[in-house]
Amino acid sequence: MGILLDKNSKVLVQGMTGKEGLKAAKAMMAYHTDVVCGVTPGKGGQEMEGKMIFNSVKEAKEKFSQVNVSAIYVPPFAAKAAVLEAIDSDIPLISVIAERIPIKDTAYFLAAAKEKNIRVVGPSSLGFINPDIGRIGVVGGPLVDQVFQPGSIGVISRSGGMTNELSWQIRQAGLGQSSAVHVGGDLLMGTTYADLLKLFEVDVQTKAVVIFGEHGGSYEFEVVDLIKNKGFTKPLAVYIGGKFANVFPEGMNIGHAGAIVGRGQSAAEKEVALKSVGVLIADTYEDLVTKIKPFA
Amino acid sequence: MNLYEFEGKNIFSQFGIPIPKSILVRRGDDTETRYAELGIKEVVVKAQVLSGKRGKNNGILFASSDTEAKTAVENIFDANIRGQYVAAVLMEEKLEIVEEHYLSITYDTNKKQPVLVYSQSGGMDIEDVSDEKIQKVYLDIRQEKIDTEIPLAKELYQCFLQSDARVVEINPLVKTKTGEFFAADSKIAIDEDAFYRHKDWNFEPRTMLGRLPTDREMEVKKIDEGENYYRGTAGKYIEMDGDVAVLFSGGGASIANMDALIKTGLKPANYTEYSGNPPREKVHQLAKIVLSKPGIRGLWIVGGVANFTDIAETFGGIADVLDELKPTYPIVVRRAGPNEEQGLQLMRDCADRNNLQIKIFGKETPMSATAKELAEMILK
Repeated sequence: MGILLDKNSKVLVQGMTGKEGLKAAKAMMAYHTDVVCGVTPGKGGQEMEGKMIFNSVKEAKEKFSQVNVSAIYVPPFAAKAAVLEAIDSDIPLISVIAERIPIKDTAYFLAAAKEKNIRVVGPSSLGFINPDIGRIGVVGGPLVDQVFQPGSIGVISRSGGMTNELSWQIRQAGLGQSSAVHVGGDLLMGTTYADLLKLFEVDVQTKAVVIFGEHGGSYEFEVVDLIKNKGFTKPLAVYIGGKFANVFPEGMNIGHAGAIVGRGQSAAEKEVALKSVGVLIADTYEDLVTKIKPFA
Repeated sequence: MNLYEFEGKNIFSQFGIPIPKSILVRRGDDTETRYAELGIKEVVVKAQVLSGKRGKNNGILFASSDTEAKTAVENIFDANIRGQYVAAVLMEEKLEIVEEHYLSITYDTNKKQPVLVYSQSGGMDIEDVSDEKIQKVYLDIRQEKIDTEIPLAKELYQCFLQSDARVVEINPLVKTKTGEFFAADSKIAIDEDAFYRHKDWNFEPRTMLGRLPTDREMEVKKIDEGENYYRGTAGKYIEMDGDVAVLFSGGGASIANMDALIKTGLKPANYTEYSGNPPREKVHQLAKIVLSKPGIRGLWIVGGVANFTDIAETFGGIADVLDELKPTYPIVVRRAGPNEEQGLQLMRDCADRNNLQIKIFGKETPMSATAKELAEMILK
């Protein structure tokens, strides 16, 4: 099964006529995913890759009412309007691939989504994949079949590149993935580690989960609380990158936008907190696989 | 990006937040003239630094005459304020303070909405104030205005919203003898991803590393400027003390690899990362600047299995630079992803042409393991 996606997922690509949007639409279609149409304001009426392009999400929904996922491939300055359009049309799952969206815009559409109980993954998220079922975005790229195979490990990563790299390490160890999700590297995450762990908890295919985390932010502490409250009971291994960052002053950001050096948020402090609730801590990212393998 | 106090205060005043009368003294300015221009007898003289507890580190002094002001300014420019670079000194009227409050707005990342924090016990770190003395108000960012009795909170919310700030903080927010409130200090961090809607943002170069940005750092920053700023990132570079140059791909991989490199005992000459499928030219510019640092003893070009960054395209930019420089120090490459075979072959050809001392790995070897390879090559 995996989480977020299934065989009935019908995908709309907002910004499908752009370079990245088109590339992603092709990548999704090439990997079992049902992309039903695209939206680009002002380009309605065209067809791309055999799919109809509409001027608005509303128009797209009128024609294809079964759309239940939207992938947002628009430039950062158009992202807020695009996500709000998807929210207005009640699309229950929105994957925001667009990067470098101003925080204020992200906070705005996350507030609007929350009110309607709509799940937003990202922003700055590469997307997610359920091996052999489908993918949102270009997770895995052209090597997707070499990297991914169905299995029992859930993968969560703050980094898009590491989503793939980590999945590759899992594959090399002879294991497979249930779902791999890139949560995005921004200060604000639409869907957090804890949100995903709740989904992995009830997913029968998932036996254990690995997380690639980073210094900065406080999302790992939500995981600690979730485990304390028995909201997640499966084996979990975590790697927190950025131990070197403690040589830099507070307030400086290194790596992703959300990786800001902050008091109580260092890689070491996160590891201590996670360890205290029984999470397996990996010294290197490759070590994540060694730690989780016995539970696969 | 963090702003200096004087920059923050300029922004505050645009939103109707009263600030003390002040004048800025730069290095080389004549302090006595500046003191006369300000025209106030009792002044406070404050170091302009980006972080650090300047109050406890001789960064805030008082003066009652032009000669005292001159001495104070000199002392501050010479002071070591937790290693911070003193960009300027702000000379300000000394207020007659009766109360010191605390007021800030920032994003609560767990609730994903702005939170206003207010306390009547200000003037110290908010972390040191007991919880029962702190008032927290969660705000709906979709609201253009807030209704509150907290002094200057309405104004500060406007400042937060309209300046695309990540943090706005007034500490202390002071009440004077006459009952007026003033922002006696300012802390603003702006969201650099919002620069396109702030044509007025023209801040002087800075780093938080306690020094001015190096020429290389300023050069690299330019790579991601211009119309296509969001198409692939190649503008990240922090110059460091070590001698092993790095060209990392991917934000997450870069910090993991930084940790791995340091673990081997090698010392990075820089922190650098490109990602999001930048064009060859951006990578070329970046690699050229990274390798221009004198005294490099090794180079580590490493990234994970890319999703969509074209390895041939990006390595093309690096190979161009290796062709130009023909370095003799050891080089280790580990990379995979779209067009990986072509990309790695390109490096092999480049190595043959230039007789490079190089080891090239694909995805069969984990990234951290190749840090050890480089360490062995350098140390042998």
